[in-house]
Amino acid sequence: MSPSLLSWLFGGVLLLAAGFVTTLLPRRLARTRQTRVAWSTARAAIDSAAVSRDATAVRVPEAERLLARAELLAAEHGGVVAAQAASEHARRADELWRERA
Amino acid sequence: MIGRLARHLGLLRWALLGLAGLVLVVFLLAQRQSIDVSYGQSPTPSVRIEEGSAGELSDATVPSTEEMTALVAADPVVRLPGAVAYWDEQQVREAIGGDDIRILVAPPGLDEAERKRIREVENASVRVIGTQVGGGSYLATPDRLTGWRAQFATGDVTGPLVTMIAKLRDVPAAADRDDLRWREPSGTELATVLADLRADGLHVGRGATLDGVPEDAARSAFPAGAWYVVLPRQAYGEALPAYGAALTRVDPGRPIVVMYGEWIEYHGPAADEFAELAGASFYAQFGDRLSRYDYPQRNVLGVYLGRVTEIRYAGLFDRPLPYQPLDPLRVALPALPWIFTACVAGYLVLSARSLRRAGVLAGLGGARQGAGPARLAGLTALALEVSLLTDARSNAALTRGIGKLQAARAALEKGLPARHVRELLDDATAELDETARVVGLPDYRPENYLQGRLS
Repeated sequence: MSPSLLSWLFGGVLLLAAGFVTTLLPRRLARTRQTRVAWSTARAAIDSAAVSRDATAVRVPEAERLLARAELLAAEHGGVVAAQAASEHARRADELWRERA
Repeated sequence: MIGRLARHLGLLRWALLGLAGLVLVVFLLAQRQSIDVSYGQSPTPSVRIEEGSAGELSDATVPSTEEMTALVAADPVVRLPGAVAYWDEQQVREAIGGDDIRILVAPPGLDEAERKRIREVENASVRVIGTQVGGGSYLATPDRLTGWRAQFATGDVTGPLVTMIAKLRDVPAAADRDDLRWREPSGTELATVLADLRADGLHVGRGATLDGVPEDAARSAFPAGAWYVVLPRQAYGEALPAYGAALTRVDPGRPIVVMYGEWIEYHGPAADEFAELAGASFYAQFGDRLSRYDYPQRNVLGVYLGRVTEIRYAGLFDRPLPYQPLDPLRVALPALPWIFTACVAGYLVLSARSLRRAGVLAGLGGARQGAGPARLAGLTALALEVSLLTDARSNAALTRGIGKLQAARAALEKGLPARHVRELLDDATAELDETARVVGLPDYRPENYLQGRLS
């Protein structure tokens, strides 16, 4: 195998690899970041809801059920969709408690 | 300015990729191997010609094997209709001696099945197909120009026949003899030929099968033009008119091609060094086919002119070659790997640059957090101050605000996007605002508090 042929092969492989890396790496990083942002939002919402629960004198079973579901989702630590669902549950629980406060 | 440059660099990256792909494709296509080796790219065609497509098969046919066997049994020499081979009977008789050697002479241009029928005639010790002499599993062919000349110009197969018979009898063969006789063409003959040649450079004798000189082959073989004298196969035993020598005396500077049957001679400039080479290489390669088959003279002449062209292009005679334009592919081929490598390198550099712009290589901790940290610090200070003043009603909002602040700080530390940090800080601001409203201290509303600290 001549050195020239090697350079063609090697160059071709490099081109392919560079193409894949430049396409896939940013996409993967963006997805990871999106997931982390979603979970950050969800955790903040759950914390707020927990504070509202502690500040409310009466019990609101509906809100407690929602918060429990959100915490369950957070404990399982899923993807973006799970995080959004957890945020939504926590937010609604928060609202319910604040109405009773 | 920078944006435009960046866009141009992005375009350049794809252009480099495209160029690399193109160069790769060109390289791969250039890998086709060719068996054509030609000094100076001689224009002779090198296409493969299928059996029978060059008009080499004649209408002649032969009887069945049984009939031929009967004929051979009845007569030691059988000439089938259309046979063209002749020989010196005296010499052959001497060669045979007292043995029982029977000769079967068949016409040329037979197809494979007909030749097989002849080979199956077992009592014919020697069979002559066209002018090809065979016996048993042997073939006898001339090996010098005089032998080929006798064979193709007059159908004289005495030499091969004597050799074959000696081989069959297992005795030493007599030496080759050149019995061909030449004569000076008569004045009227020469005048007729010269008139034709001066008119259009071609004289076709009565009985010749040529219908015209193959023009492309003639132009590449003799670009300056040549005279062609084409005669039919000459009668055996008669002297050949030596037109070549006579015409050379008339016009010494002109190439002259004289064709007797399937025998082609060259006369004229450089004939001494050229004619033998062309003739020997041509008949050594094609003599076998020419003897078996019945080619039209036009095809024989075309192939001979192709051979002349190849000899000219072989550069043997210091003849100047026609101008050959440079083939850009051949010139560029050695540079292709370098172009390709440069394209790959450029593409890699620009890819790394695009990755860094996408924030991959520089890590996640962004310097572009903007006002996030300052706002976080201010709000944290506010929360601390307000915490001393809260009551049970405002406590919940404050705690929620502090929770949001903690989340914002965690997000900042983990390098999450500035937009997310801002959203969390907005939430915290709203909670602190509510705290200040509940407590009843407008100075501690975040808007007023932050402005006061800044001023």
